[in-house]
Amino acid sequence: MKPLRKKDKPQDVSRRQFMTGVAGAAGAGLLLGQAALPAWADGGSAPMDSPATPWLASFDADGTAPEYNPREMPKAGEVIHKFEMEVTIGIHEIVPGIKAHMFLFNGSYPGPTIRVQENEWVQIDLKNKSPENHTIHWHGMMLQNEMDGVPFGTQWPVFTGQGYRYLFRAQPAGTHFYHCHVMTTLHQQAGLVGALIVEAKEDIVKKTFPYTRDYTLLLSEIDTNWVNESLNEMVGMGMTMNAMNNDMKLMGEMNGRMMGWFQDKEAFLKSIKDGYTPAYMTSMVGPNRVITPNFFMINGKSYPMTDPLLIKKGENIRVRMIGGGMQPHYFHLHGHDFWHVCQDGAPLASPVRMNTIPIFPGTTSDIVIQGTNPGSWHFHDHSDLSTTNNGIHPGGMMTMLMYEDAEKYGVTFKDVIQTNS
Amino acid sequence: MRTSQGSKRQTLRQGVALMGLAMISAIPAFGQAQQVPIPEQPSTAPQIEILGTGVATLDLGRSRNSTPDGGKASGSQINISDSSLVVGAAQRLYKGGIGSLTVGGLALDQTNTGRGTQLFLHQAFADYQAQSLEAYIGRTDQPTAQIVTFPTLRGDDLVTFTNLLDPFSSGENVNEHRYSNVAAITLNQKLTTFENFHVQHLIESADTSRGPSTGTGLNSYGASIQHLGLPGLEAVEKYISYGAGYEHRSIGRTDGGSSEALYAGGVFNLKPSLVNLIDLRVLDNYTFGSNLRSFRGTPDTFRANANAITAAVRYLHSPFGKPAYQVSLTAGYKSYSRVSQAGSIGLALTGVKRLGDGFDVVAQYLYQHRGDALATAYGGAHEENAVQLGFVFNFDTLFNRSVGPRRSLLNLQHQYIPN
Ligand SMILES: [Cu+2]
Repeated sequence: MKPLRKKDKPQDVSRRQFMTGVAGAAGAGLLLGQAALPAWADGGSAPMDSPATPWLASFDADGTAPEYNPREMPKAGEVIHKFEMEVTIGIHEIVPGIKAHMFLFNGSYPGPTIRVQENEWVQIDLKNKSPENHTIHWHGMMLQNEMDGVPFGTQWPVFTGQGYRYLFRAQPAGTHFYHCHVMTTLHQQAGLVGALIVEAKEDIVKKTFPYTRDYTLLLSEIDTNWVNESLNEMVGMGMTMNAMNNDMKLMGEMNGRMMGWFQDKEAFLKSIKDGYTPAYMTSMVGPNRVITPNFFMINGKSYPMTDPLLIKKGENIRVRMIGGGMQPHYFHLHGHDFWHVCQDGAPLASPVRMNTIPIFPGTTSDIVIQGTNPGSWHFHDHSDLSTTNNGIHPGGMMTMLMYEDAEKYGVTFKDVIQTNS
Repeated sequence: MRTSQGSKRQTLRQGVALMGLAMISAIPAFGQAQQVPIPEQPSTAPQIEILGTGVATLDLGRSRNSTPDGGKASGSQINISDSSLVVGAAQRLYKGGIGSLTVGGLALDQTNTGRGTQLFLHQAFADYQAQSLEAYIGRTDQPTAQIVTFPTLRGDDLVTFTNLLDPFSSGENVNEHRYSNVAAITLNQKLTTFENFHVQHLIESADTSRGPSTGTGLNSYGASIQHLGLPGLEAVEKYISYGAGYEHRSIGRTDGGSSEALYAGGVFNLKPSLVNLIDLRVLDNYTFGSNLRSFRGTPDTFRANANAITAAVRYLHSPFGKPAYQVSLTAGYKSYSRVSQAGSIGLALTGVKRLGDGFDVVAQYLYQHRGDALATAYGGAHEENAVQLGFVFNFDTLFNRSVGPRRSLLNLQHQYIPN
């Protein structure tokens, strides 16, 4: 990143301070008092002392604390957005001829984009109509522990036919996402992932780069063969469990150890003594299944079925990129530099100019592209393994930045779709 | 298993001479390629499956299994029969079907291995599968042997009860009752009910009235219908599989004339359970139409009208949901409708203890009793007893996985995808 320049000081009033009206953080090295923390955060045992810092003035040492107490419930008059999310197994087409059985949120992959205003309440009723267990983890949200969607960590997984109500205040603002946290390697890859956009009340990006078009690109990969095999196994196990649920005699046999679930380490060790064999022990070479992604997708589609980013000369567009898979990607835009403005939802201390941006798994990066060079321009992962479909280039994580008014500026070459090279 | 399609034998025939440029000659890297109708560039790797079963036992007592010409070899032996290695290759086809090739060999029983014919080609067939149709041609399991398999140690234990016997077999190679050369078309409804229409060449090793045949002409045809339950749910479903079939065998008049066969059977869960499963297998093989009233030799015992019923009860104990041991009792009774004193019974008490994934220590007690006429045809022994102790290792490994099973839970429970 470039060093901070004087004129790039978007955060001299941080979002949090702006909202709570707590002044401070004016000069470098100023020791912030506890007053800078929200009132709810300071009732506990060890108060979070802010360190003396040699960082620049715009740095707010308390900036990562949630603005509102995550353990609060909605008060009368507050906005609650209500959504239903139904998980089923369905078929998703990645490119023509390549279909996969996947888990779908409300019938789509990726799941529907949830877009709310900062500090509004979000209520999601998860309904599980698939033969497997699921949860939803709200990636990046500062919410109460019980709403975090980690099976066995913060809640029981949601079994077939059952539901779970998630309720949280959308904080902090920015580009986030959600995904199932049950066997994440499989369930997220098999489809349970979607964007969660929390719009800031005071959007510094919009202020600096006025824009109207706002794109979300969720990046993910799939090993269709591995997902197919694993999903079949999981569905078989799920259907067996459901049969047991409906039969008193079988129910008596239901045993967490069958699923590899234990109360604690002691219970695990005792089960081994009793003859339980953990799955990882059966073969020292492991199962003959290495996950090798063969399709790389932007919003569930691989090139040439990806959607282009449309722009006009003089227009700013915001592009929210989400690392929704398990591999890093390095997105490169031809013919332009762009501004990296937010990381993991939060505005950077200053926009950073670049033309290739790494998007790591679990991270989100917002960029602003300025319409400065009419034409149709490639925008793609520069780690070129990911620009293939089943090993054939071009494909995968490729899309186009397309000027709607390119012709007006003398660009006449029409982009040609290639599926083979 | 029905996987596999012909690999890429032929290499770069095309692209040899390019505008007179000196080219490196396009000779296959691994020797001379085989002639095929359309040579293929070796660019697409098929899915490869390797299946192996090693059955190694020390047999105490008379141990010729049910090989009906037995009775001479008594005493103990080292037995590796029924061990097999099968390789398959499978590939997706352009319009959503699956093409495959399967080739495998199986170790013969002690007498034959002693003679040096150790391996029997029991699988060598090409298979085409689409959603509602399958067609296969080649050497593979007899269609009549696909309704029920029994939990005996080897697939040929009690074969005279559990299989529709090959009336053209000399009786020396018990596997001739299990495998044949087949051309079959299988239709299905929702991948649950299957109708198999086939013609066969049952292997002709017997010295028939027409003399021993070295050809592979068609000598049998038939049809069967089978219902299969959901795969992977055998522990909780009630009806695992059941079916019935008809077969016509064209036998020369001097050998009793044509024989018809009807067979029916199934596998049923008596006690669905993940931990203590008890299931039942029943199969009846009924043949009629032959004129034989006595046995001139072993092959006649495969031709004469008979009824064989076999049943097996199996208990599988799986603490924590993983198989630990299995005990089963398989019993068969057979009688000939026009030959008297030819009844027989067979019993197999089989115990398997699992030591690791696919690796078991096994023990089996086999007993057979034959009526006078049958005993005479088999060389004189009325009774056979054997105790077998040994190991079984069984594996099924997929490389380059790219073809999903047609009858997967996902395909059965959700929309079908050709993959
Ligand atoms: Cu899930």
